[in-house]
Amino acid sequence: MSTDNFNDYVSSSFERLERRLNGHVNGPLHNLRRRALRQFIDVGIPTRRMEDWKYTSVINVINDAQFSSEKGAPAPAPAALPNEDVYHIVITPEGLDSAPFEADGLTVEVLTDELVIADERVRSTIGAILPIDTTPFVAMNTALHTTGVVIRITGNVTKPIHLDLIAHDASPDPLPSPRILVLASEHASATIVETVRSNPAAVLLPVCEIECQANAHLHWTRVLDDANNRHISAMAANVYGNGSVTVTTCIVDAAFVRNDVVIRLLEPGAQGFLFGVSVLDGQQFADNHTVVDHVMPHCHSEELYKGVYDDGSTGVFNGKIFVRQDAQKTTAYQSNRSLLLSPNAQVNAKPQLEIWADDVKCSHGATTGALDADAIFYLQARGIPKAEARRLLTMAFAMEVLERVPVESLRQSLERRMEQRLSR
Amino acid sequence: MQPLLEITNLHAGIEGRDILKGINLTVNPGEVHAIMGPNGSGKSTLASVLAGREDYSVSEGSVVFKGRDLLDLAPEERAGEGLFLAFQYPVEIPGVSTANFIKASVNAVRAYRGQDALEPAAFLALMRERMALVDMAPTFLSRALNEGFSGGEKKRAEVFQMAMLEPSLAVLDETDSGLDIDALRIVASGVNALRSPDRSFVVITHYQRLLSHIVPDVVHVLHNGVIVRSGGKELALELEERGYDWIRAEQGSEV
Ligand SMILES: Nc1ncnc2c1ncn2[C@@H]1O[C@H](COP(=O)(O)OP(=O)(O)OP(=O)(O)O)[C@@H](O)[C@H]1O
Ligand SMILES: [Mg+2]
Repeated sequence: MSTDNFNDYVSSSFERLERRLNGHVNGPLHNLRRRALRQFIDVGIPTRRMEDWKYTSVINVINDAQFSSEKGAPAPAPAALPNEDVYHIVITPEGLDSAPFEADGLTVEVLTDELVIADERVRSTIGAILPIDTTPFVAMNTALHTTGVVIRITGNVTKPIHLDLIAHDASPDPLPSPRILVLASEHASATIVETVRSNPAAVLLPVCEIECQANAHLHWTRVLDDANNRHISAMAANVYGNGSVTVTTCIVDAAFVRNDVVIRLLEPGAQGFLFGVSVLDGQQFADNHTVVDHVMPHCHSEELYKGVYDDGSTGVFNGKIFVRQDAQKTTAYQSNRSLLLSPNAQVNAKPQLEIWADDVKCSHGATTGALDADAIFYLQARGIPKAEARRLLTMAFAMEVLERVPVESLRQSLERRMEQRLSR
Repeated sequence: MQPLLEITNLHAGIEGRDILKGINLTVNPGEVHAIMGPNGSGKSTLASVLAGREDYSVSEGSVVFKGRDLLDLAPEERAGEGLFLAFQYPVEIPGVSTANFIKASVNAVRAYRGQDALEPAAFLALMRERMALVDMAPTFLSRALNEGFSGGEKKRAEVFQMAMLEPSLAVLDETDSGLDIDALRIVASGVNALRSPDRSFVVITHYQRLLSHIVPDVVHVLHNGVIVRSGGKELALELEERGYDWIRAEQGSEV
């Protein structure tokens, strides 16, 4: 499909969507959708000529999505959270699979025009934390999302919240675009685990906006562990005084991933943590694009992305850190480490620090290398066969990120999945 | 009696450079051999070749260990057969705790020998017992192996690993270097506790000091890739006193 054809496809999808929305064509959400559509049509699908997409060709990925009306196979149950007592929120292209509910400091609602009209906080955040000009896919999601969910965290939510994104289910939509808005009130806290059930015909395009008010703490773990998964996502969090947001991205298996994550530290004491681990082989591809924006003084950010690349797989990391003029006493640390297990694997890493304040502590580092031959020999000399030595060292490399996954059972299942991966 | 280790006319080198130029060495069960010699004479190279480091190529000679061709075995098989090398420079293994490392190592060696993995409780008890042998605090078990260990701590950890693996032949490459006086005594007594009629040691060292604790049956001097002199424990004392110049002079005069 050419770029022009694709624009036509997006426009006609939008018209179909509009026809279903009897009555609401002038609601605030709908107006936002219209602006987003225009934005998308103006810019189009990103090409490699654009700086932020230099290493990442999306047109082929979009082309591989099957624009047919065949229904996908039923989704398998997610493997990542076995037997864990969770709040299970199932998001399909048709909508919220579970009824809206309220429990234990947690409210889940469907995003509608009525809600946007009635609720000042939703109105001021939706499309504002991730404006439509952020990336073409944010514009596309904003225009076309069929399922929007607003998750309010008002207290200390003790059970993990499991966001179960289903890319196909019984839907023919080749580009499911779930829209998620998380509003954490002051002093609230929650652990969110996002998983994806995909199929080879779909490209999932989720957009998540997060507002984390003062003293609230959110820990978001994104798990991509399906070899079929093609995923282009955007997430941004606005963090206020002494609040913190941690985003941990675990790519255990996926065909194609592009993740954009933005954390803005908007009041003193706000903290942002970004962790990621990717384990790829074959021709798999994962691109992590991150932005940490230090706007106010006395904020802290930490970032660690690790990648293990085998066969002909490719990793991309782009980490921007902005320290604005007012953001004195900032501490910001970024590190990106890649392990290349094969001579054909490759990684493109680019840290970008832009610092306008003078009293700050910032550092960044990127390393790319193979497994340490001395370490392999040391393990072998202790009786450990070479293949196992390699696996042990690779797991140790990945564990530095995995061990930060806050849900014990999830951490263990991810560990097992990774071990399986590395043995295949 | 069949020798435990028999090295015959061993020539080995790296990147086209000859380092070992005809080593002959026989170690019988229960014996302690010391190898001394100037820096760069090839002591660690010999240890690496015995342990199976691939970077070194053997151009001539043979090594027979327990009646098997040692050079034909992968490093992990050599460990399984009961060969242990305490490294001159132990490698830091970030992300792998000492406990998990030892567990993987011991169970791999047990699997090689056709034994079942140890039960976790029995394993932990054994680890504690063997750590006590070298006066290592149990807190080391949860730390990444060798990472941030002081020089002396690394050497103790090597002896601890040796105690766990119960080898038939342990090659200790300068296990005494970097140890303070008390640590030297502790490490030496740890080694002595493991001495037995069917366990042998090859102790590479620069100092007589260690050999007054671990008394060798034979002392060898390695010079420029060959063993140029072998003798009793007195040889170590003589070297301590006179240095290596007289050996060099002798070698020079022989050429
Ligand atoms: N990987 C290597 N590449 C090049 N040369 C090497 C390598 N390993 C050893 N050599 C050389 O081989 C010679 C013997 O080195 P070896 O480490 O065996 O000496 P050594 O007797 O253990 O010395 P020391 O007492 O200092 O530990 C040295 O000249 C050394 O530079
Ligand atoms: Mg040496």
